[in-house]
Amino acid sequence: MKGRLLSLILAQLNMNFAISHSRYYYLEKRQRLWEGILIVVSIIMTALVLSFGVYKLACAFYSQAAIINQEALTLTTGILAAQFLMLILGVALVIAVFYFSNDLPVLIPLPLRPWEVLASKFAVILCNEYLGLLVFITPIFVAYGMRADVSLISYALSAIIVFLTLPVIPIAIASILSVILMRVVGFTKRKDILTIIGGFLLTGLIIGVQLYLQTKLPARGDEQEFIMQMLSQANSLVAVMGRQFPPSIWATWAVSEAGTSMGLLSLCLFLGVGAVSFGLFLALGDRFFYQGVLSGFEAPTSRRGALVDKQGRHGFSKRTPLLSLAVTEMKLFSRTPVFVLNGFIGFLMFPVMFVVLLVMGNDPQMAGLWDSLATMPEFHSIGALLVAAYFFMLTAFSGIPFSPFSREGKANIWFLRSQPISGHAAAMGKALAAEIMIVAGAIPGLAVFEYIARLPIASLIIGVSLGIASSCALCIWGVLLDMARPMLDWTDQQRAIKSNLNTVIGMLIGMVALFLIGYLVYVLFRRGYSGLVAQVISGAIIALILGSGLRVLRVAGDKLWSRVEL
Amino acid sequence: MVKAGNACLLKLEGVSKTYRGGSTKAVDSLSLEVRPGEIFGFLGPNGAGKTTTIKMIVGLLMPDNGRIIVDGHDIVKDPVSAKMRMGFVPDDPNLYNRLTGLEYLNLVADIYGVSAAERTRRINDLLSMFDLTSEVKDLIQSYSHGMKQKLALTGALLHNPPLFILDEPMVGLDPRSSRLFKDLMRSHCDQGYAVFFSTHILEVAERLCDRVGIIDKGKLIACGSMDELRKLSNETDESLEDIFLELTLPEEAD
Repeated sequence: MKGRLLSLILAQLNMNFAISHSRYYYLEKRQRLWEGILIVVSIIMTALVLSFGVYKLACAFYSQAAIINQEALTLTTGILAAQFLMLILGVALVIAVFYFSNDLPVLIPLPLRPWEVLASKFAVILCNEYLGLLVFITPIFVAYGMRADVSLISYALSAIIVFLTLPVIPIAIASILSVILMRVVGFTKRKDILTIIGGFLLTGLIIGVQLYLQTKLPARGDEQEFIMQMLSQANSLVAVMGRQFPPSIWATWAVSEAGTSMGLLSLCLFLGVGAVSFGLFLALGDRFFYQGVLSGFEAPTSRRGALVDKQGRHGFSKRTPLLSLAVTEMKLFSRTPVFVLNGFIGFLMFPVMFVVLLVMGNDPQMAGLWDSLATMPEFHSIGALLVAAYFFMLTAFSGIPFSPFSREGKANIWFLRSQPISGHAAAMGKALAAEIMIVAGAIPGLAVFEYIARLPIASLIIGVSLGIASSCALCIWGVLLDMARPMLDWTDQQRAIKSNLNTVIGMLIGMVALFLIGYLVYVLFRRGYSGLVAQVISGAIIALILGSGLRVLRVAGDKLWSRVEL
Repeated sequence: MVKAGNACLLKLEGVSKTYRGGSTKAVDSLSLEVRPGEIFGFLGPNGAGKTTTIKMIVGLLMPDNGRIIVDGHDIVKDPVSAKMRMGFVPDDPNLYNRLTGLEYLNLVADIYGVSAAERTRRINDLLSMFDLTSEVKDLIQSYSHGMKQKLALTGALLHNPPLFILDEPMVGLDPRSSRLFKDLMRSHCDQGYAVFFSTHILEVAERLCDRVGIIDKGKLIACGSMDELRKLSNETDESLEDIFLELTLPEEAD
């Protein structure tokens, strides 16, 4: 008989990766088997291509680092970036998985300790992180191992151990912060809004602390001495880089010095801190997790929002169905903490990073960079295009337009499907809501950008217009994609928006489109065309993408909608 | 407000549905009619095909064969017009938990194009009837199952649909609401409209329905008024429960 914790973890993993679900539909029922095969093959191919890209990059980085005797920096950079990203995105992920899973009402009545439930959910998060690390970190380890003078067996063994424990510390820290946050939020009445605010504050705090540590690099005037020391001492830069997140240093030494006493000591230190942070998380979780979850089940009963006449009767105003759908979509999104934390994180992350750098950075080079850029002849045209690219990038990375039907889930999609709404109208309502949210979300970043770049108003208007048009185009195609293959079966809301293949596809398409348009603009500038020409051509491409999206929606929208079956 | 304009408000002609990958038909060549002024009860054992049939009627599933006509409109060819003529409440009404009851009702009214004056009158009347007036500004997530059921019923009745489709409507309703709702169904039909509902509560079906259809293993095995069903079983004083059990007897018990 399996232990109950193992059984719970296996069941959670089964649900997370839809193992039984896929086996039943793809293998037993042979339902859309081709789709399953296509998805698996596409994921493997994409992973291989990305891994190869990371490998080549790591090899190039290693060669450059070797010139200055800093080869281990290859590992530190990768490990640091991975841990940094896991930590930043961890808060939203952990809150979603721990506190907003559909299975909590099933799990809580079971005779399980809170730490057991948390441990099983922690395991699920770790396994999801491994998938990303497999593509991102493994090629770096391979590239380093093939070039550096290491003992193969001890290196491989250490690399595997570090790989498996790499997400533990950042996710445990994010979990500890989230458990405390949710316990505090549990004392209040406006839980949803405070979860959102608290989640963003924690994420902002993490970014702020990281950037602050980064600015604690050598003090002004010591550069010469610092460079000399760096060149004379092998891998000394690792320690400097690692100040942002000390465990990244231990992980680096554990792998690069595998088989030596220093490597062993670093590995012990890395594992020890991982174990302590995980233990602390479980202890805190066992004490506070259920309190936070259960307070979330207590729905608020505030009286708000409607008109009441003298007889106590409610009064109403009428909206068009399209507007009503869009407004409802925005309300549902903005009142769901997991959607807001995941969808809006990019809207705040970039401006926060800019602001922190502006406030804390004591380096005049930062200001000088913009001054020199501002004197470039085509700076205003480039600035307008950068504004447009910012809108496009936010749309691609937010996941909002790529998951509107998925977010409804199996529980709620019946409502829209049974209403007298055409597929075209349903999609337009969703796209309109996504566009409004993205435009609103772009404002903080735009304000910071304008504060730094000081673009003339005409360029700003051109940039914003191109940006809104490009965002609309991506929204239409995103909604179409999600309508064609909505992911309605999910166990937590996180899966509907961020772990949704549609969102991943949307990001990839967005990145490719942005790269292609960016490259075209670069070529135009290189060939001496004016900024206006670049703007007109970019605008024409955006109009083409938008127009084709609207056309496809008109022709195929109703058919796609009718295929969304329950 | 949509007026019923056809002699038959719901017509199923040879409707079949096999779930993809499945070998047996969930619904097999089902044909039936629901006429204006009629409460039609749709009965059957678990897994007989009731919910699949209802899902096809309201457009949540596409039939493999056959036609479903709602007040003259084909649900496959003209889904928006067909849906405009009906109101639907599923067996487990999962509503948008993060909307208030009023926001939900306003959304439904906007979708069906109910005028401000009409929605004010209808919503207030229905809320009052279901005793939901004081909770309607709360988030739906704070509602009990019964309250959600009542809110879903209110939403489905807002535009006074010619055809009212309900999957197990009595589940979750308290006795008072249940009684009120049964009266409402009758008064709805007295306007010349129709109600099509599935239920397992045979006493309710017997007392309330003008006609009853019994489905088993996807096939309609009996359809008619209580008198017509009794004639089928050659017993004049049999209850609907007796008839149902007799007709849906498992094969090995024959």
